Order: sequence, then structure tokens, then C-alpha cells
Amino acid sequence: MSLSAHKLSVGYHGQTIVKEMDLTLPDGKFIALLGPNGCGKSTLLKCFARILPAMSGEAHWQGKNLHHYPSKQLSKELALLPQTQPIPEGIKVKDLVAYGRSPYTGFWGKLSQQDHQIVEQMMQQTGTFELKEKLVSELSGGQRQRVWLAMVLAQDTPYLLLDEPTTYMDINHQVELMHQLQMLNQQGKTIITVLHDINQAARYCDHLVVMKSGELKYQGSPEEVLTSAMLQDVFSLQAQIHRDPVSNTPMCVVED
Amino acid sequence: MTRPFYGLTIVLAAILLLLLGWWNLFAWSVIPIQAQDVWLSLTHFDSQSISHRIVQDLRLPRLLTAMFVGACLATAGTIMQGLTRNPLAAPSVLGINAGAALGMALVSTLPILYGALSTSLAAMIGGGVAWLLVMLLGNSWRIGGNEHGRLVLAGVAISALCAALTKAVVIMEEDQAAGVLTWLTGSLADARWQTWQHYWPFALAGLFGALLLTPSLNLLQLGEEHARNLGANLLRSKLFGSFLVLLLVGTTISAVGSIGFIGLIVPHMARLLVGQDFRIFLPVAMLLGATLVTLADTLSRAISYPMETPAGAILALIGAPFFIYLVRKRTL
Repeated sequence: MSLSAHKLSVGYHGQTIVKEMDLTLPDGKFIALLGPNGCGKSTLLKCFARILPAMSGEAHWQGKNLHHYPSKQLSKELALLPQTQPIPEGIKVKDLVAYGRSPYTGFWGKLSQQDHQIVEQMMQQTGTFELKEKLVSELSGGQRQRVWLAMVLAQDTPYLLLDEPTTYMDINHQVELMHQLQMLNQQGKTIITVLHDINQAARYCDHLVVMKSGELKYQGSPEEVLTSAMLQDVFSLQAQIHRDPVSNTPMCVVED
Repeated sequence: MTRPFYGLTIVLAAILLLLLGWWNLFAWSVIPIQAQDVWLSLTHFDSQSISHRIVQDLRLPRLLTAMFVGACLATAGTIMQGLTRNPLAAPSVLGINAGAALGMALVSTLPILYGALSTSLAAMIGGGVAWLLVMLLGNSWRIGGNEHGRLVLAGVAISALCAALTKAVVIMEEDQAAGVLTWLTGSLADARWQTWQHYWPFALAGLFGALLLTPSLNLLQLGEEHARNLGANLLRSKLFGSFLVLLLVGTTISAVGSIGFIGLIVPHMARLLVGQDFRIFLPVAMLLGATLVTLADTLSRAISYPMETPAGAILALIGAPFFIYLVRKRTL
């Protein structure tokens, strides 16, 4: 299993956002995609999830062209939590999470005993089990995000892509989510997430990918990547690197 | 939605439909028909009896057509609301009715086209062109480009254009005008066995196809990104869904004319009763649609008895306020 890009260009409306990128993502890691706004990290993720086609070059999954891979099979191997979720009307939490099992069900979408168990387990794991009889449209933004995460987790894929999953969350839910993702990673899932908070990424993730203007700039462990030189180069920011007093991971402190 | 309650809803809706259907066969007849004549005409048909003949030759095909018209239009509305994720989507709102009517007006009045196409094919092509234009103007094919208000505005604009063209065609060819005007409002009064024979095979195929589409419609309501992520083939669902809508609406309009609002109202009623799952509420919507058109057809003979009011006009009287209610309730 591995996800890679080969001279991959992606964009919208004829505008190239990701430019001829070569990138191989390591298996089994908790990976953060970092970079300034508009650098193409979400666009790259969308291409990996086949929401967007490749303009040129190829994205590969297990050595095959991702965009020619059978969609049903891929939906059992690679799942995406997009940046914004729709608010479907009249759907209960438990029914929404159950849709995550659709790659495994037959044509009519009937759930097996095992499917029901997985759905329940994922609701427990994301702390949404108590909400299961509620309508998704009645929930707060943070609760809703966790329900959608439960649905994507119910897809039970070895690879998980997340596009800024912490955006609508309070700091306590952000921390909770990062812990959950870390745990899932330890259970063997490869997780690739777009994040804005560099210190959060350095603390919880074990592999950082930094992009700028559609190009890959740095890749490696937080120790290797999070340096003053990188921050100056990618974000034009004067910053010092210190040690996080709790986790002993690198963290940046911005200078005036 | 628990299983026994769902079963009960289906059974009650079916019983209501059968009772209304039975009532429809004898109520408000210019030549009086007794309730027991309906039963006798089915079991011991007597060709000498006028009331038996009315039931057999006029009422029965009319009733069966009414039921199928209701089921087809409710199904078309359900598919359209599912495909566009727009609560206001319906064949009459998004231009398909007007486009189909224009297609039929063109083939039945223009000498060049006369006889070149069957009316149902013309209705399907007209409806298809209108639907395509509305989807393009409403920006609804692109991922993420789904603006509810814009789609409805596009539907209104294309409907108005088609209606204007239809009127122009009718004015130019006055000989055919009366016939065209009858099916512009939609009436079941002229439905005979011949209408039914040409109608039911296509209608049944369309209804069955729609049931097969329901799992995809369920995934589509999660948004296109999620649907794709869950392995749904969006292009195939959209093409198949659009084809079904055109088949259902095209054949219905060529059989009885343009009947509006069923496709808009009924899916909402069914959702209120049994919830959002398309697999569950589509069968309920079919039954409710059939019931509502049967009721409207019965009332169409009652309102200005002994004259007939087109069933389409009666449904518009119920439907227009409902449309306003929906627009006010939702933030578009």
C-alpha cells in the first residue's frame, strides 16, 4: 500500500495549483500536510481522493493509476473527510454513520450484524454514541464534525485523508481528535491530514510534508523539517525553535 | 422508522388508494351509476347496461391512468430532489413539463414535423432539452456548484420561455389549438384503454428503475464529495436518474398532458411520514401520488358538475400554496 504522485499537476478552471509534484507518502505514519493558504495542500488531497482529476502526471495507489482504480475497491482502502460537510436534513446520527458501511454492503445497502457492530464501535470511539438518535442538523459544529469522522472511520480503510479536521472545533475537541487520530495510527492506519497549526502537527504527527506555491518543499520527521530556515523560506516568518516542555517535540515561537 | 410502523403506513396508503379508486369509478357521473354496478360490471359484465359500459370503457382506463400518472410524477419529483439535493426540484418547477409540452406542441402542429416523431418521444426530447438547459444555467452538473436559488430561477426562466414558444406555435396553427390547450392544463377525461396501453409498460419500467436508483440517491444526499468517497458512481447515477425522469414525465405528459405540483408536494409528504431514506419513502411517495391524482380526478367531475374541471387545475390549486409554504420555510 502506498500513495504517491508522479509529475502530478492538479487545478481548477484551467488554473494549475499543484505543479508537477513528485511525492511518495510513507506507509503507517501520521502525516501532516503543511503550507501557507493557497499552496495546494487541499487540492492535492482532493486529487488523492479522486474528487479532482489529474491535469497531467499521475497519482498512484499501490503502484496503479489511482484514477483508473475500481471505485468500490478504492472506497474500502482510502477514505476522505472533506473540509466542509453538508448538513443533510432529517438524517439521524446513527443512520449517517451507517452510510460509511456502504462500500461493504450489497446493492440494496442492507447492513449485516457485523456492519452494525462497526457502526456502534465508531460512534463510541468518536464520542458520538450518546447522540445516535439525534438529527445531524441539530448538532453543534464540533459534534457534527465528529459524527462525520465516525462515518469515515466506519469505512474501515487502511488509509485516511483529512482536510483540516480541527477547523470547527474548540481547543479541547481539537486535542481529543488529535489523540484519537494518534491512536488510530498506532492501530495501523496511515493518516494524512491537512493542518494549519504547525506546533500541533509537530507534536502529534511523525511525518511532515511542507508545500509552497504548489511545490513540495520539505519532507521528513518534525525534527528534520521544523526549523527556522523552513519557516523563513515557506512562511516568510522569523521564528525560534524551542522544545515543547510536555512532549519534548520541536515547536516554533514567532519573533516580533 | 420502525419496521412495523412502515408496513402499516404502506398498507393504510394502499387501502386508501383502493377505496378512493372504487369511489372514483361511480361518483359524479352524468349518467347515474350505482355503487354496486361497479362491482357487477367487473364480475358479471352486461354489454346492454349503459352504466356497465361506462365503467368498463371510460372509468376504468381513466382510473388506472390516474393512478400511474400520480405514481410516475411523484417518482420523477423524488428523483429530481435527490439528484439536485434541492427541496424545490420537481418536473413542473425545473422546466421539464413546459419543455415536454413545447415538444408535443411542435410535433402536433408543425406540418414538417407532423408524424415524424411520436408524441411521447417529442415530449421526452422537449423535456430533456429543457432539463439540460436548466441544469447548465443552474450550475448543477459541477461538483460543489449547487446553488438552490439559482437552479429554481433557471427553471422558472426556461419554463416561461417554453410556455411562450408553445403559445406562439398554438396561435400560428389555430386548427390544432383546442387540443393543445387541453393537455396544457392536464386532464384525465380523455384517457381510454388505448391511452393506457401505450402508457403503462413505459411507466412501469420507469417506476421499477427508480427503485433501483434509491441506494445511490441516499448516498447523494451526503453531498457529492462524500458520495464519491463512498464509492458511488455519480455520473452514472445522474445520467440514469435524468433518463428515468424524462421517461416518466415524457410518457405521462403525452398521455394526459401537463400536470404540475404532484412531483413537488408528494415527496415531501412521504418524507414527513416515513423519514429520509429513499429506499423507504419512494414506495410511499408512489402510493400517495396515485392517491392524490385519483382524488383530483374524482373532484374534477364534482367541482363544476356536470362539466369537468381539468385535474391539473385542481392540483395547481392545492400545489401553489404548498410551493409558497416550502419557499418560506427553507432558506434558499
